[in-house]
Amino acid sequence: MPVRVVETSAPTQISGAHSGQISPPFCTLLSVGQAFSGTQNVSSLQKDEAWRVNVRIQGCDLEHGYLCGTMEALNVPMADTPVVTFWEGEIVDGKNYSFFTGKWEASSEDDIRHWTKFPSFSPFLCQVEVDGGKSLDLSNYPYIFMRWKEQYFVNVGTDCGLTIAGFYYVCFSCTDGSISGFYYDPNSSPFQKLELKSTNEGRSGFSFSSYELQ
Amino acid sequence: MPTASAALAHRPMDLLNRLASPDPDIKLKALREIKNQIIGNRTKKLAFLKLGAIPTVASILAEADSQLAQGDVSIADKNSNHYNYNIIIQSAAVLGSFACGFDAGVRAVLDAGAFPYLVRLLSNPDEKVVDASARSIRMIYQSKLTPKYEFLKDKKMEFLISLLNSESENVTGLGASIITHSCETSLEQTSLCDAGVLHKLLSLLDGSLCQRDASLESLAALFRNNPEVISKFVGPESGRALGSIMGLTKDRNPRTRLLSCMCLIVIRNSSSCYLQDIGIKTKLVHLLLELLDDPGQVGDEAPFVFSSLIMEKEDLQKLAFEANALDKFSNHLQNFRLHPKRFQGILLALADICSKLESCRSRFLSLQVLNLVIDALTHDSADVRTAACICIRSVTRSIKNLCAGYFMNEVLVIPLVQLLNDPLASVQVAALGALSNILVDFTTGKSTFVQCGGVKQLIQLSKSMDSTVRLNALWALKNMVFLADDRCKEGIFMELTASLLASLICDHDPFVQEQALAFVRNLIEGSISSVEFVFTESGIILDAVRKQLENTSKAEVGIQGMYVLCNLASGNEFHKEAVMQQLLSQVDNETQSFIIKFLQSNDSRLRTAAVWAIVNLTFPSSPGAFCRLVKLRSAGIVPQIRNMVNDPCLDVKLRVRTVLGQAMTFGDGLS
Repeated sequence: MPVRVVETSAPTQISGAHSGQISPPFCTLLSVGQAFSGTQNVSSLQKDEAWRVNVRIQGCDLEHGYLCGTMEALNVPMADTPVVTFWEGEIVDGKNYSFFTGKWEASSEDDIRHWTKFPSFSPFLCQVEVDGGKSLDLSNYPYIFMRWKEQYFVNVGTDCGLTIAGFYYVCFSCTDGSISGFYYDPNSSPFQKLELKSTNEGRSGFSFSSYELQ
Repeated sequence: MPTASAALAHRPMDLLNRLASPDPDIKLKALREIKNQIIGNRTKKLAFLKLGAIPTVASILAEADSQLAQGDVSIADKNSNHYNYNIIIQSAAVLGSFACGFDAGVRAVLDAGAFPYLVRLLSNPDEKVVDASARSIRMIYQSKLTPKYEFLKDKKMEFLISLLNSESENVTGLGASIITHSCETSLEQTSLCDAGVLHKLLSLLDGSLCQRDASLESLAALFRNNPEVISKFVGPESGRALGSIMGLTKDRNPRTRLLSCMCLIVIRNSSSCYLQDIGIKTKLVHLLLELLDDPGQVGDEAPFVFSSLIMEKEDLQKLAFEANALDKFSNHLQNFRLHPKRFQGILLALADICSKLESCRSRFLSLQVLNLVIDALTHDSADVRTAACICIRSVTRSIKNLCAGYFMNEVLVIPLVQLLNDPLASVQVAALGALSNILVDFTTGKSTFVQCGGVKQLIQLSKSMDSTVRLNALWALKNMVFLADDRCKEGIFMELTASLLASLICDHDPFVQEQALAFVRNLIEGSISSVEFVFTESGIILDAVRKQLENTSKAEVGIQGMYVLCNLASGNEFHKEAVMQQLLSQVDNETQSFIIKFLQSNDSRLRTAAVWAIVNLTFPSSPGAFCRLVKLRSAGIVPQIRNMVNDPCLDVKLRVRTVLGQAMTFGDGLS
């Protein structure tokens, strides 16, 4: 029998008995292979625009609060093709990451300002203002808070006229897999909103595939 | 001036002939010459062994011993006694030397029946005889082939204690070696401890070099996985005993430093009460990294001891990273002509450092030595080939690099695919492990792998007699079809065939069943047409899935099987009805659907998968959803779900509420 040191998309070691070791909870709608689609509004002083966006989760390592995937932006005016980026996520779990970003030119005031735009964040505001929410138990909360940072363009050059300098504050609903996010970049218009829903990709229901690393 | 005839006289056959001489002087000289020739020379050992030297020397030993035992020592016999003693000493030394680091020699010595004679000689009045036999027996006990010393049998413990109590350094060393060799079970550890062995071994730590080293190794054997014995050793006298071992980490002799580190690590790993502070952890990391520079056997063994320190321990892997362990090990990799043992050790240590932390993997990749690891895939030694695969497996856990398609290239894939044909199953399994990770690739369509015949190899291995090979081949296939396009899936499925897949789902090994079901799960996810795979050949795959779901007691098999049904149920009406048939075909007044057992499972992942299937079957937008809901209610499935409204697992709870919410859209009577 091979030694199964497995970093999986699903926490194979975790059953009810282990709850409390990792928070937030694992949610099947936020696992590898899952796809989401919706829009990002890209507003500036000149105009209001919305790009269609597709997101797919490619990697998930709950123990380290890590997530990654791709984001595809369609009908981008400056580009001939959809623009795909690879992003990495930090899951706010009180163990690996707190609500305070601590980098990417985001101050704790910026953090609070963004998190409070999610209604589901309001129960935590007081505690977060004190210690970034490190002592919160998020394991039974039906929302997962994350930061997503795009790392590179997958299919276009950096001269495509688009920027990936900022990052997203993200709130994921475990109930229906919907995602809302706010893009933060000190050099871009504030609060550009990302709104996604879990897609069934033409199916009449939810389907799940998975891989396991050895 | 040596003459030609003198040189000829030292050929193995001639020497053996001289062993048969009645003249004790000739016999003795031949024994000495053999001893000198075979020391440290494996080729010579083999040559003499093939000529039957060992049984000959063993009988010389026996004869000399019985002559000594026989009689009065008269003046006339004093000369023959002198010869007998020396013949005994030399023949014991020859036998010991044959056994030293040479398993065939050990086997031959034991088969020749020499062992009981050597043991008896330990009680001989002559110190030199005792030393010679003790040294020889010790070399025999260095081999795994030597039968275990049965500590718990009559008088054996007594005898062992007498060895440890001896005045002779070689004899006490032998006592310790026997413990190192044979002490395995916790009962043996405790019995030895109760017999007072710990105290004696502690005093040996202050003895000669040989005694200290022997004691350190035997203490490790006593401590391994036994916190009680450890606290008996460490507890008294405010940790003076532990202090002795710690002191030896600064010894001049590198082997002593290595063995004391090894002993401390065994204590650390076996008992959470001792040596857990950051100071000792850091010290051990640095000590072992220094020992890596030793050019001899100590340097060969240091990486293995290092692995035992950091394996599965993220905090230690982080410390290793901060101590630049990756750079140090990588520098050693670049040495020309590494001894295979050292090569294996370095590769395994690198694998352990990179096993959990992305920072370590990134650093490793930045050092640009992956090509050296790839070269090791074609090494003569199977251990090195396996270690190279294990190292690659660790490094390819880098999800970020997998997503970027960094590993899916010919340089890495081709030699790994070649190892799928390795004569040893253990190497095949290690290669499959590395390939399983590399095949999680989102960018390139895996054409490199397909083109070098990888798919055919995987499918061939899924038919192996060895279930570990089958399991790992399926694992690789499962990862390969994750998010694969239709063309890739079609190619794999046509090669695999529905009937082979169905038989793998029904494999007698549940781990193989699990992987086969997970493969199907991934196969039918994605474009809606891929669902049709389960209906090939009159639906034998679907039948196999149902059979396993009805019979399994293993949660993981249930989980993968339920996700197959869940994915099928996300299809069209026909697909959903097919799932209904699987769920309800055996149901009557006495038999309930297997899904109820899953919904009641202690395993939340299994409950989740089962509820998702019901979510899909009652998905409101499908025309037949209401009818299915009615049937599921009659079969007791919906009532079971209703009972789960406050499931302790959030994910289950939310899906249960989805089902009930969907049910409500059909009218109050049913919810």
